[in-house]
Amino acid sequence: MRKLGLLLVAFALAFVFAGSALAADTIKVGYLAALTGDWAAYGQTELNSAKLAVDEINAKGGVLGKKIELVPYDFRTRPEDAVNAFRRMAENDKVVAVIGANGSGINIATAPLSTKYKIPQIGTVSTNLNVTVTPEGKLNPYMFRICFTDPYQGQVIAFFTAKNLKKMKAAVLYDVGSDYSQGLRDFFMQSYKKLGGAIVADQGFRAGTDVDFRAQLTTIRDSKADVLVLPNMGKEMALIMKQARELGMKDIVFIGGDGYGDFMWEIAGPSMEGSYWINHVDPADPAMKPFFDSYKKKYNDECKEFVNGVLAYDSVYWLADAIKRAGKADSTAIRDALEKTKDVKLHHAVMSTDPKTHNPMNKTAVVLMAKNGKAVYYTKIQPK
Amino acid sequence: MDTLVQQIINGLSLGSVYALIAVGYSLVYSILLFSNFAHGGFLVIGGYICYYTLAALGNNIWLSGLTAMVGAGVIAILVERLAYKPIRERTNVTLYLLIASMGMSIVIENVFVVTVGGRFRALPPVIPTDPVNFFGLATTSAFDLLSLAMAVLFLTALQLFLSKTKWGLAIRAASYDLRTSGLMGVNVNRLISIVFFVAGFLAAVGGIFLSVRYTLYPQLGFITIKAFVAAVIGGLGSLPGAVLGSLILGLAEMLTAGFISSQMRDLVVFGMLVLTLLWRPSGLLGKQVSEKV
Repeated sequence: MRKLGLLLVAFALAFVFAGSALAADTIKVGYLAALTGDWAAYGQTELNSAKLAVDEINAKGGVLGKKIELVPYDFRTRPEDAVNAFRRMAENDKVVAVIGANGSGINIATAPLSTKYKIPQIGTVSTNLNVTVTPEGKLNPYMFRICFTDPYQGQVIAFFTAKNLKKMKAAVLYDVGSDYSQGLRDFFMQSYKKLGGAIVADQGFRAGTDVDFRAQLTTIRDSKADVLVLPNMGKEMALIMKQARELGMKDIVFIGGDGYGDFMWEIAGPSMEGSYWINHVDPADPAMKPFFDSYKKKYNDECKEFVNGVLAYDSVYWLADAIKRAGKADSTAIRDALEKTKDVKLHHAVMSTDPKTHNPMNKTAVVLMAKNGKAVYYTKIQPK
Repeated sequence: MDTLVQQIINGLSLGSVYALIAVGYSLVYSILLFSNFAHGGFLVIGGYICYYTLAALGNNIWLSGLTAMVGAGVIAILVERLAYKPIRERTNVTLYLLIASMGMSIVIENVFVVTVGGRFRALPPVIPTDPVNFFGLATTSAFDLLSLAMAVLFLTALQLFLSKTKWGLAIRAASYDLRTSGLMGVNVNRLISIVFFVAGFLAAVGGIFLSVRYTLYPQLGFITIKAFVAAVIGGLGSLPGAVLGSLILGLAEMLTAGFISSQMRDLVVFGMLVLTLLWRPSGLLGKQVSEKV
């Protein structure tokens, strides 16, 4: 046992030294990924996709004649670990920018650090408004995002439910411990009420400790809601749908946000059929096919969490473009270039950033429908 | 009325899964007087063994279930030999065992993170989960009835083992005083191995049911926190207490979430724990043995 321990320590040290020896002529970019914990499925896909993008860019000669070096850190699905990781990236690894994480709560926690160290950070699926703008309305100058925001997403869910599906009695089941979930719920409810819909049940749970939702679902069943809105992460949504069908809720329609992941099918199985998912990207988009193909080739696995994969992949390209436009690998110059992003052609969309809020402008949302064992394109939507 | 019946059924089915886990905590506590926090790890081990043998043996739940239970039992013995035996041979301060068990739970979790990854895995649909209707009053899944039946079956078997066999007698004697029973000729090391085997065995049963219901991932063992609370409320070291505590906890969770507020659920659970510790520190059915000098 002791020998094994020594061996591990030796390995760890070797890695540390190897890391610093390579540092000389590369541009270091930090990657904040949840490789363990509840979001591990998303985080692993993100890191794989980001590595793919970095390899592609480096194979074409890198940026400004230098190769990009990805410095990944696991934040274990916990904001406190993300904060520590960010500190280490800034102080030990001296990264010029950070990509990730895929959650709003995490990026809200690291936002003060990005300002302190003057290192720009791009959230991949961090949709909460407060990631880039504080609750007091002040811009976090170093925070960016590649995805659309929760108010917009909430509005899309409400619009789709009321106008496309014509369901006017909704129940919400959300995670009280998540900024993302709570924000999305609030914005959905606001827009839905404006469109004439009624919220007949509003129930909460705590992700991480709660895995049994039958008590809340029983209340929702009694409220006679005809649609259940799930502003949560994949694992909880899958368990909720499975348990709802087990309680005999046959007709209720499930609508969720961008937490959708293909792994949900493994958990929920046929309970997924007929559910709708508001999302950032369309997996059938021909522009994304080369990415999915090379992902499959490199990792011998489907890119199941495709939203995370695509957004992580394009975040790297966006950052590389910004570094090119900045003309030097300097954090502040990169920040300015990110802020001035206008009509930059990425793979999944044409990106323009609003300099006042650092949110992308005019991104269309995609509605996916779960059908015959996978999520297929249903419609595109841009609420008025 | 319908809702009440439904929530009670939900609560009982949740409580029965807690019971399978809580019994394991109580069993180890009754002999070694420490809370084995690696118990959640045994449960995860059982779940993973079941998952992989299901894939290898072509979805035979009986065979892979049995493999998982025996496998988790054997690993529980190994954990005891590796982590607890050296400590209990050197000192009788149980705090060290408690700390070692926390360490083991982290080790087990991370072994799975490193080897099989943090992904959620769903067991193939080997256990039916179709809705079953009770005279129009309530609906539950066939799975819940099965888990309730299995919990009753295994807990009865455990009770029979403890009350009818020679080793059961030795375990009961040891739960009063481990040292004295050692002096009376009981092979203490073998006895402890048997206790850990049984604890691992039952944890695997819980693990299989939990992974069918809530999917399998390395952190699944965290659910055992609630089962541990149940064991404490019922009285650590008392098996009927563990079952009673689990059922009370399952019901309290469901009724709170259903009739008061779903956000209050954990508040009520842990509030009950505090109240129990204030009123009856040894739990509802715990033994009141005072320390003799």
